[in-house]
Amino acid sequence: MFSRNLLTSCRAPSKDVSCLRRALATEASLGSSTTASTAPPASSKRSTRPKITTAIILNRSPTLTRTPTPFERAYYAYQARIRRALHNPFPYEFYFKQGSLLETRFNIEEAEREQLAFGKDFTGEVVTNEKEEANKRAVAQLSQQEGEGEVIMSRTHEADIKKDTKSLDRKGARNLYLLLRVDQDGKQVWRFPQGGVEKGELLHQAAQRDLFAECGPHMDTWVVSRNPVGVSKSPAEATKDGQEDVTFFYKAHIMAGQVRPTQASVSDFAWLTKEEIESHVSKDYWESIKDMLSEH
Amino acid sequence: MSAQAGAVARRNVTRFGRAPPVTKNLRKNPRTLLPQPHVKNLLVRDIAPCRIMDHYYNTLQDDLMYMTYVHQAAPPKQRQIRLTFDPNDPYARNRYNPPVGGSQVGRKPAPLVTPEDVIRLERIQIHTMVKEAIGSRNNLLPAIMAIRALTGETYQGGGRHSNDGIQIVKARKSVGGWLRPGVPVGVKVDLKGPAMYDFLGTLVDFVLPRIRDFPGFILPPASSSVNSPNAVSGVVSFGLPPAAMGFFPQIEVNQDSYPKMFGMHIHLVTNATGLGAQNRARALVSGFQIPFIKK
Repeated sequence: MFSRNLLTSCRAPSKDVSCLRRALATEASLGSSTTASTAPPASSKRSTRPKITTAIILNRSPTLTRTPTPFERAYYAYQARIRRALHNPFPYEFYFKQGSLLETRFNIEEAEREQLAFGKDFTGEVVTNEKEEANKRAVAQLSQQEGEGEVIMSRTHEADIKKDTKSLDRKGARNLYLLLRVDQDGKQVWRFPQGGVEKGELLHQAAQRDLFAECGPHMDTWVVSRNPVGVSKSPAEATKDGQEDVTFFYKAHIMAGQVRPTQASVSDFAWLTKEEIESHVSKDYWESIKDMLSEH
Repeated sequence: MSAQAGAVARRNVTRFGRAPPVTKNLRKNPRTLLPQPHVKNLLVRDIAPCRIMDHYYNTLQDDLMYMTYVHQAAPPKQRQIRLTFDPNDPYARNRYNPPVGGSQVGRKPAPLVTPEDVIRLERIQIHTMVKEAIGSRNNLLPAIMAIRALTGETYQGGGRHSNDGIQIVKARKSVGGWLRPGVPVGVKVDLKGPAMYDFLGTLVDFVLPRIRDFPGFILPPASSSVNSPNAVSGVVSFGLPPAAMGFFPQIEVNQDSYPKMFGMHIHLVTNATGLGAQNRARALVSGFQIPFIKK
């Protein structure tokens, strides 16, 4: 556990020191406090009731293992060498028939592993050159029969090369989140899918309905919990209609399918990592959502 | 200049992967004549990134916290059911403070969900009983070798001092005409850390999909007690038939070496406690893609 924490703190994909912070439920307030003194206090009872919105943080989980940093690789190699040096004897007579092909392969691979750990000078059993060649040929034949040596898929997808932010296959080792570009008061802004709550409707139901309303029914999603994972409030003075705006964020996963915006107001969408989201959204919006997103 | 600097940096990195050149030979133990390391207590940590552990810390942990979180504006008020112990009371001073009566098993509520206390897998215990071992303890050997091939665990192997390796289970009770205390009847092994997650990954990717007619592990009926020690323990247990052992790649590669296949019990031990602990444990385990179905 210690080593995991140690490595996590060394990984630091982000620029600032916030790498130790985990994405947790948070409460953040939108809007600056300077506007409070200038705006008149809300007088009527009606306007004090906040406008409730639900937003969905639609997440595509990593599909690839992450690439270890050079430090991590060095750390793992060092630990692996110690473990190999201290390992208990392995009773291979039980597992392999004497003189079988499997035993020959094991011996060759074991010799390679020993040399990798302890250096080129480390040699185990001494065999004649002729025998060694024969062994290698036999093992090569065995591995060919077993279908080894097939080309492994590349970790970089086509979408990464083309910089296609609409593809769900991009950045396989990272968490991606869905952002929509919408027309808001004549301005084009990026935000999570969101919508209002109807009367008598539960918040998580509203979140699911709003997601489908904006992104189309051509995807399979799962809203993680009935509890919101975060909330952001913009004070009544900061909003246009003088009504306090409260947005509840829900986390959801996409399992299959793709977004197909149904409304004319949604002009574009993108699957982005946490750092990319920062450069897309406004500063206030970023402050309210940053702690709900994963660093990984 | 920069290319040269890059080359140096690269060499430094890969240099860690190889053994350092021997500049001075290690001191030798006079009795065993084996080289002695410079330090007394070597601590060996993880030797590779672990896919399923990463999956837990990247995705499952957050999701499980959101799923199991119960909002409480203030801690619930404890109902006063008896006089509380007041050490300043002259009567109670220096007297014994008895605990609240009755067994608390199955009555304690679940602790609050906090980011530090999200449900997680603590260890996996694999256990197999070999009936033939009662007659002759030699029959235990294939089971030991099979479990060792499955898990790779040995006693304090690889410098991990807390590793108990594969343990022999001995009979505790006397069963007339059959069993005496102290007779070895089975083997078990405790897995922790990356080894535990690796075993889980093998189980889910290679074994469970290949078991014939296996829709998932059957859940207890809805009417089953929520207060039973089983339901509040936070342990998910299931068994695998002997045929399933042959599906593990470690066994499959040389299945002929084993005289027979063994079934096994697998206990997934989590840190969940209190009411509903087993349900939360199942939520965690299903996140690792172990299927459960209703009967």
